[in-house]
Amino acid sequence: MRRFILFFTAWALAGTVGAEPSTRVAWTPDLLRFVKAGDPAKGKELAGVCGGCHNDVSTNPNLEGQLPTYLYRQLLDYKQGSRKDPSTAMNGVAGTLSEKDFADLAAYYSQLEPVRGIGGADDPTDIVARGDGRRMEPPCSSCHGAGGQGEAVDTPRLAGQKTAYLEQVLLAYKSGERHNDVYGRMRLIAGKLSDREIKQLAEYYGKLK
Amino acid sequence: MHIDLLEKRWLYVALGMILLFLGAIFYTAWVHNVHPPGHAETIDSASLHLSEEFAEDKLGVQAEPLANGSVQVRLVAGRYGFYPREIEIPAGRTIVFRLASMDVLHGAHIPMTNMGTMIVPGFVSEVTTVFPKPGEYPLLCNEYCGFGHDHMWSKVTVIAPENWHAPTKGGQQP
Amino acid sequence: MIDATSRKLTLFNFWVAFGAFGLASVFGLYQVLERSGFIPALQSPAVYFASVSTHGVLMAFVLTTFFIMGFGYYTLASSLKVPIWNPLLAWAGYGVCLGGTVLAAIPLLLGKASVLYTFYPPIQASALFYIGATLLVVGSWFWAAIVIVMYVEWKKAHPGEPVPLPAFATAANAFLWLWTSAGVALEAVFQLLPWSLGLVDTIDVGLARTLFSWTLHPIVYFWLIPAYIVLYGFVPQAAGGKLFSDELARLAFLLILLFGLPIGFHHLYMDPEQAHGWKFIHMVGTFAVAIPTLLTGFTVIASLEGAGRKRGGQGLFGWIGALPWKDPTVLAAILSLLMLVLGGFGGLVNASYAMNAMIHNTAWVPGHFHLIFAGTVVILYLAVAYRLWPRLVGKALVSKELALVQLWSWFIGLGILTTPWHVLGLLGQPRRISSVNYNSVLTLAWDPYELAMILGGLVLTASAGLFVYILYKTQTAGEAEQPVEENWAVAIRPATALPEWLNSFGVWNKVIAGLMALSYGYPIIQFFVLKTYDPTAWGY
Repeated sequence: MRRFILFFTAWALAGTVGAEPSTRVAWTPDLLRFVKAGDPAKGKELAGVCGGCHNDVSTNPNLEGQLPTYLYRQLLDYKQGSRKDPSTAMNGVAGTLSEKDFADLAAYYSQLEPVRGIGGADDPTDIVARGDGRRMEPPCSSCHGAGGQGEAVDTPRLAGQKTAYLEQVLLAYKSGERHNDVYGRMRLIAGKLSDREIKQLAEYYGKLK
Repeated sequence: MHIDLLEKRWLYVALGMILLFLGAIFYTAWVHNVHPPGHAETIDSASLHLSEEFAEDKLGVQAEPLANGSVQVRLVAGRYGFYPREIEIPAGRTIVFRLASMDVLHGAHIPMTNMGTMIVPGFVSEVTTVFPKPGEYPLLCNEYCGFGHDHMWSKVTVIAPENWHAPTKGGQQP
Repeated sequence: MIDATSRKLTLFNFWVAFGAFGLASVFGLYQVLERSGFIPALQSPAVYFASVSTHGVLMAFVLTTFFIMGFGYYTLASSLKVPIWNPLLAWAGYGVCLGGTVLAAIPLLLGKASVLYTFYPPIQASALFYIGATLLVVGSWFWAAIVIVMYVEWKKAHPGEPVPLPAFATAANAFLWLWTSAGVALEAVFQLLPWSLGLVDTIDVGLARTLFSWTLHPIVYFWLIPAYIVLYGFVPQAAGGKLFSDELARLAFLLILLFGLPIGFHHLYMDPEQAHGWKFIHMVGTFAVAIPTLLTGFTVIASLEGAGRKRGGQGLFGWIGALPWKDPTVLAAILSLLMLVLGGFGGLVNASYAMNAMIHNTAWVPGHFHLIFAGTVVILYLAVAYRLWPRLVGKALVSKELALVQLWSWFIGLGILTTPWHVLGLLGQPRRISSVNYNSVLTLAWDPYELAMILGGLVLTASAGLFVYILYKTQTAGEAEQPVEENWAVAIRPATALPEWLNSFGVWNKVIAGLMALSYGYPIIQFFVLKTYDPTAWGY
């Protein structure tokens, strides 16, 4: 009997262990409060080392003015392995920091003035404003905001982001190399874009003020 | 109180009409078991993807039929789509849809069928229906959920039962 | 003729009501044009949903509340033949309502409150919007208090006499409104306001929807009762006849008050947070409330038949032709009843528990409520304006012919607008979409109906513009005439002595309290018993 119970428990456990979720972060009210309580002054101290890579390399994103929720989740995803940095640098850095550090960093960067694009953005794909019903593509602006400013809870700001980074991320979503989007929403969207459209969309958001 | 004879007759006609309607609905509801959805089951929408039932690899048409032989389909509604975005189900069999929202209010409706429900964050919606005819149906969001609401839809393909095979595992998205 | 203060109160309320009506019609025209998708330059979900929200709030909350307040003051002053009790309080209420309207209008027009007039948490609007909407309701409570005080005072001064029917019905509406608005007031004060002001992080959406449903259906009777007052009080006399029955009219108003309240769950048929047993109970009440409407239909048509025969109408249907179709009040009543029959049929489908699933949240629903609201109800508000403007401003209506053209075009426009919506609903088109993006064969079948919808919108907007023009012209350029006394319809057999339960509300309010506790008690308490997970705020 005892053996049976043991066996049954093991079997039940095996049944419940599913595949790895795309992210372990869930935006419960408690976590939102935790991120909101981040200390920008502490974040500034921690941010000393970030600038080197983020400012100079075109495929590393601008962090200024980004949504704190987005920054927090990416850092935690790097730490937990839900998002993998091709150079592994971010996984390494995030691994040495605590969740409180993430909240502080998020608070610091989110209150900085965002980098603005040079302006004159136009979207030949028409996907930003209209989407494409034939491919079930919703418009980018319906989630990322009319000005690409990002929206609740953690849809990131895109306006003024580095073009090379945006293109790289969209391609990574398309190939499935990046997969920390809940329910694969960005993978589904990017998967239906051509490489040319990805380039055009990256240019559009890069130029957006 | 004075009530005219004509008034009295009309009152009886009106009452009779209402009772007839109510009787017909009572019959279909409690004899044929045709009810709208609603069983007040709660779920945490914020951590839906970490839940047992709506984890990413548990969505879509379930491999195992339910005890009564009906096919279970799990869908997540989120801005702006139903996930998985395309499903295949058999015609003529009872389908039990279980839906939950990961963000705001949504609605689900397959036009010209009675597959419809509201999807309220914090609750699981369950709809039971049968599609008699094979074909391609759109599954539309019919509740305002934000500026991308018009783009929120998915595809449901109903397949003749002899050509339909249960998927081997959940969570696959085309 | 009623006193100058009451006249001024009525007129000021009416101008806000009809100004809102004219403005909202323009938004309506934009919406049909945008939604059809035929003019790509107009396409914008952000503008569309801001417009839908503004249109809904202006029509359903601003037009109605101000009209009902103005008409209520007029009805009491003219039927009880006393001045308004405490005019200062009445003006204060007016000010609070107007202030609330302006506060709500700012975020609406800036696109900061695109949550439609049903609020839709957890999508969050600017706090200003909820504050404004709450003030509009609070201001209307001043009106309800004044109505109830005047009704009680009159009864005290006239022991044993029946309260004149128009005043009795207005008092019924004041009680109904206090009961009705409690649901949304609870939602606003305990949920929406603290949440939008950032005092709490989360909102219980199930509870919010349940409380809103409490208000969302009986509010329709709040709008409808003044229309019924017109049908019972103005129409028989305008048609040249008498009211068929006074007592049955009172019974109809009391039944609306009783059955109209505890039935809001038919708006939640498709919701997951309420069990279907409760939905079934509310469904029974929903059908019961058809009875007072069926009684009203009978009494009004019987009164019209009496008038038609008196005017020489012969045979089974001859009396219809003999009616004064060129009288705006009578014409509006006939058109209103026609639209009530059509809209009522659609309503039966909506009310039918499980059948509702076929058309829930499809274009069928706006088709239905535009017929009932814009059709049955608002056309009688327009008729009231034509009848009262000369009595309020002391000038003759600038053109009766234009008024008739306006009423006919309103009726025709609504027919053209709502017929395609009903068809589109059956074809599964969701309501509240700003464009059709579905790449499905099925949705191609929608196109021709979208075209008809535009035509309907054009006719209606022109008609609404004509209405505002006629009022404006009458007030500014009408020929001066001596305002006439209001002559409310007299019953064939006037009520002389009534049983107390047909002349007062005490026992009715107790019964309603019991019914409300029964039908909403557990469904509300469950949210405090169940383990619920409340979502945080989302933008549009």
